[in-house]
Amino acid sequence: MPVAASAIYFLNLRGDVLINRLYRDDVGNANVACAFKFVVEAVALFKSYFGGNFDEDAIRNNFVLIYELLDEIMDFGYPQNLSPEILKLYITQEGVRSPFSSKPSDKPVPNATLQVTGAVGWRREGLVYKKNEVFLDIVESVNLLMSSKGSVLRCDVTGKILMKCFLSGMPDLKLGLNDKIGLEKEAQLKSRPAKSGKTIELDDVTFHQCVNLTRFNSEKTVSFVPPDGEFELMKYRITEGVNLPFRVLPTIKELGRTRMEINVKVKSVFGAKMFALGVVVKVPVPKQTAKTSFQTTSGKAKYNASIDSLVWKIRKFPGQTEATMSAEVELISTMGEKKSWNRPPIQMEFQVPMFTASGLRVRFLKVWEKSGYNTVEWVRYITRAGSYEIRC
Amino acid sequence: MAPTVPTAAKSASPSQPSGKSEVADLKQQLRQLAGSRAPDADDQRRDVFKRVISCMTAGIDVSAAFGEMVMCSATSDVVTKKMCYLYVGAHARAHPDLALLTINFLQRDCRDQDPTIRGLALRSLCSLRVPNLVEYLVTPLTTGLKDPSAYVRMIAAVGAAKLYHISATACLDADLPASLKALMLSDPDAQVVANCLHALQEIWTLEAANSESAAREIERHYIASQLYFTLLNRIKEFSEWAQCTVLELASKFLPSDNNEIFDIMNLLEDRLQHANGAVVLATIKVFLHLTMSMTDVHQQVYERIKAPLLTLVGAGSPEQSYSVLCHLHLLVMRAPMLFSSDYKSFYCQFSDPSYVKKLKLEMLTAIANESNTYEIVTELCEYAGNVDVPIARESIRAVGKIALQQYDVNAIVDRLLQFLEMDKDYVTAETLVLVKDLLRKYPQWSHDCIAVVGNISSKNIQEPKGKAALIWMLGEYSQDMHDAPYILEGLVENWDEEHSPEVRLHLLTAVMKCFFKRPPETQKALGATLAAGISDTHQDVHDRALFYYRLLQYDPSVAERVVNPPKQAVSVFADMQSSEMKDRIFDEFNSLSVPSYLFTDKDHRGPFEYSEDLTNLTVGAEDPENVISAQRYQENDNDLLLSTSDKEDNGTRVSNGSSTSSYNAPSDLISPSLLSSQPPAESALMTTGVPTSSSLSNFGLDDLLGLGVTEAPAPRPPPALTLNSKPVLDPGTFQRKWGQLALSLSQECSLSPQGAAALMNPQSLIRHMQGNYIQCIASGGQPPNYKFFFYAQKDGVTAFFLVECIINTASAKAQLKIKADDGTAAEAFSTLFQSALSKFGLS
Repeated sequence: MPVAASAIYFLNLRGDVLINRLYRDDVGNANVACAFKFVVEAVALFKSYFGGNFDEDAIRNNFVLIYELLDEIMDFGYPQNLSPEILKLYITQEGVRSPFSSKPSDKPVPNATLQVTGAVGWRREGLVYKKNEVFLDIVESVNLLMSSKGSVLRCDVTGKILMKCFLSGMPDLKLGLNDKIGLEKEAQLKSRPAKSGKTIELDDVTFHQCVNLTRFNSEKTVSFVPPDGEFELMKYRITEGVNLPFRVLPTIKELGRTRMEINVKVKSVFGAKMFALGVVVKVPVPKQTAKTSFQTTSGKAKYNASIDSLVWKIRKFPGQTEATMSAEVELISTMGEKKSWNRPPIQMEFQVPMFTASGLRVRFLKVWEKSGYNTVEWVRYITRAGSYEIRC
Repeated sequence: MAPTVPTAAKSASPSQPSGKSEVADLKQQLRQLAGSRAPDADDQRRDVFKRVISCMTAGIDVSAAFGEMVMCSATSDVVTKKMCYLYVGAHARAHPDLALLTINFLQRDCRDQDPTIRGLALRSLCSLRVPNLVEYLVTPLTTGLKDPSAYVRMIAAVGAAKLYHISATACLDADLPASLKALMLSDPDAQVVANCLHALQEIWTLEAANSESAAREIERHYIASQLYFTLLNRIKEFSEWAQCTVLELASKFLPSDNNEIFDIMNLLEDRLQHANGAVVLATIKVFLHLTMSMTDVHQQVYERIKAPLLTLVGAGSPEQSYSVLCHLHLLVMRAPMLFSSDYKSFYCQFSDPSYVKKLKLEMLTAIANESNTYEIVTELCEYAGNVDVPIARESIRAVGKIALQQYDVNAIVDRLLQFLEMDKDYVTAETLVLVKDLLRKYPQWSHDCIAVVGNISSKNIQEPKGKAALIWMLGEYSQDMHDAPYILEGLVENWDEEHSPEVRLHLLTAVMKCFFKRPPETQKALGATLAAGISDTHQDVHDRALFYYRLLQYDPSVAERVVNPPKQAVSVFADMQSSEMKDRIFDEFNSLSVPSYLFTDKDHRGPFEYSEDLTNLTVGAEDPENVISAQRYQENDNDLLLSTSDKEDNGTRVSNGSSTSSYNAPSDLISPSLLSSQPPAESALMTTGVPTSSSLSNFGLDDLLGLGVTEAPAPRPPPALTLNSKPVLDPGTFQRKWGQLALSLSQECSLSPQGAAALMNPQSLIRHMQGNYIQCIASGGQPPNYKFFFYAQKDGVTAFFLVECIINTASAKAQLKIKADDGTAAEAFSTLFQSALSKFGLS
């Protein structure tokens, strides 16, 4: 039976049940992916209701609202509607930060329930905005695993395109990217040679349910009627031709049993006009570290005993430059400790605005609506460190 | 999965106000508000209701206020209504008589003009779960299914399933399934259709289980392709969750021809791009099921689903990655080549939670083959130094498992030996266990390994498993390790400090082994060991020590055969997971069984331990010996009553005998000659199924038992087997022989993927095997399962080998059943047969 759940429990970190809702008795062999996904989505829904702070207090103060939601998102163990946009139409309460809570009536819009199950489940009709705007955020996280010898063991980019739509009516949108297959298909359809320029190959793409997948498969274009407000349009994964924004060259010398010399050089290899923000390099040191001293060419470094690491922070890191940190670490000599210390990898965090590690670019975003209004489109790119690990 | 009511919620926490007075207070307030027409009465009611609900959630028993709650239920405020419904739903089951009070207002609300209220009331009405209220349910449900609002219809559809669970007859009498089916095929709203499907599936499944005729009836519904296509054509309209249900249903579809299969696959292909992992997995399940019988398309499906699956591993929460990895593991078991070039996707990230890391390690082990072993093992060695100790252990085990899969053993042995130099307790312990297993499979490495293992001081190893492995090696290779007797002696001296019975058992056996290999040096230790063992408090240790002691007393040469039999290298370690198990689980793809199957696998870990027992028991010869000695010694009760000191004396006496050959059995026990012990052994073997038909049998038996030549401790290689190039056997004789002969061997082996693909034409396999002097006498089967009967004849003799070979092309596995006139050669023939089979399709 494809039932997802017989009950939902909310626990705190100690394992106390804060609130629970039983839907039915024992269920058979549930659908595992569905069950996990449901829980994840449900948490996202509650977060959107509680403005991101979905903690024990929020739960304790909003029992009634949570019960109401639990009633709507699942019936007899079967997932129903989890879309925050639609649910917020008819489940509102004080303490909810929702764009709709400002509406004066406590009673639901009479036809709200019709919307709940309408054909375009993710968008309601009759939206009006004075200024029609679309914000596109291309957010990539680059994952790297580099061996101690400096060779790339594993490297990939997982990206997502986040969209914020403030558009009137029922607009039809079409998004063009510089991915290879899409461009080739377009050239083929218009029977002209593909434009030269950097194209990229997407390993795998998944789309929000609003995207017309049939059209994507036949024409390779991303066309959709967007939900109102913020949503995740697509996710993609790339393993070939990744531009790594940073190179890290560590040298760690163990001088005897009580002293270590650590030298880390970080090079930025993105365009000189760009810069990275919030660069953090975490260099692990042994537990028995007693004293540390640093020299850095930029940024600040300190020893953080709770994570057994040297943490080097650089607020702004321009492209095509390099920075080094040299540190001396003194260790308490212990009798029991064996000679070898297993070095965990160096980890790095950063954000590089206007840079994509995959090279992905938005070529166009077209908006059609029958009233023919003009729209303003905003596109931003940002690359973050996913798990950026360098073994040493 | 049964929802258990948490005790934490039941007992009010100390910070909460004590239940009783609070409830009384609430009751009081509700009573005042019940008839109130004050302008702010609604708001007040709302507040009081909220407090009641909070109390209920905190676990305070508020059922006492039931009557008052119902009195206040007449309100136009939706939120208050919802709270009231919730309260009623939570308490109705425990108070069925009070629940009757609510029927009235719920029924009235079911006729409200607001569809929201109608829906909510209907849902609550159906959730009361009180059997004696069933009669009130049917009418609102029937009207609900015809309601103009989709919201109400959607709730009514699920309500029908709820009703079925309360009273199946009421549901069937009202003919709700028929209405549901009509609605499912025609309703414009996708969620209504989905809920109808949910309800119908539930009702049908349970009905089918109850009666034969219902099952047939329902079978008809399922077979009707109209049902599938109506739903599949609309799949894009459904919510992501409903899509999962529809896809789940589609995986049950039995297509009538290939066109239907391709239609469905075309229809669903874009679902692989869906952002919801559950939809993707459900689609994959449909694809795999549909193409089960089409080998080449099945392979293409594997290729197609690779990318989406790898994306799912990296995306989403760790829990989701975990469940996807479990599925990947399952797929890899069936198609090992699938991810062999994507091995890097399974490298562990430092930040992965350990349950994900553990599965990734298993994936790496499963996909290791000739092309990627080096990289994978290098990566695994990195983890051996991991801070997370369980993962470090797991990765060492993974290296060992890969080594046992026979790829690039050379490099792996070196790496394993390097682990021993890392000088960490747990690393050493795990490595020793692996080295031991490796040696049992590849005795040729003993020289290299022993050199390193000999340097390890047993004092540094705390873990019983590692210590037991070291002791096993000391015993097994005592002739190569110079210090072995003295190390063992040292261990025996500390017998009392050894807490693990497992280690003590191994120590007993090892000292015995060592004694037979180097008698003069071990004598003293043996005496001490047996003495310590016999006085041991652990029953198994005591029994084994006593058994060895009496065996020695009875006849040292028999004891030697029991303890140090000629051993053959273990070719395949017993594997816990049978292929049937894997196939069965495959039917439950994308369900909770997949992850939990892996859990149970963990709990029952220990394929090695199992086979370990087998070797300790040695080759079959022991059982009859055991019986004899037991019988013999039962006559001598005195012996059992010996005091400990007496036994110690005895023990020393035993070891006083200078060597095996010169040792004399105590005079009170007549030592039966070797020959006299042979007949029972032989008869026992006959019953266990080795056929003895020709004059060869005596030789064969002797060989197997190592009885023929008493002074031949070294394992002898099995005689090379050559086959008659033109054997002749008519089908009648084949059938007769197949019926007569007992099963000599039953094994599973795998085919190359090319071989599996080439099996589209079964004749090609028959020709291929003929080239290897193995003839086919009968074949048949439908894809993916083929069955063949082969035979072959040993060159120069009349002994035949008969083989039943069942090949599954989808999993590229073959199951062999071998029967032989000459059972001793069955093993050699099996090797020959498997090597011929594995080459199929490669030329």
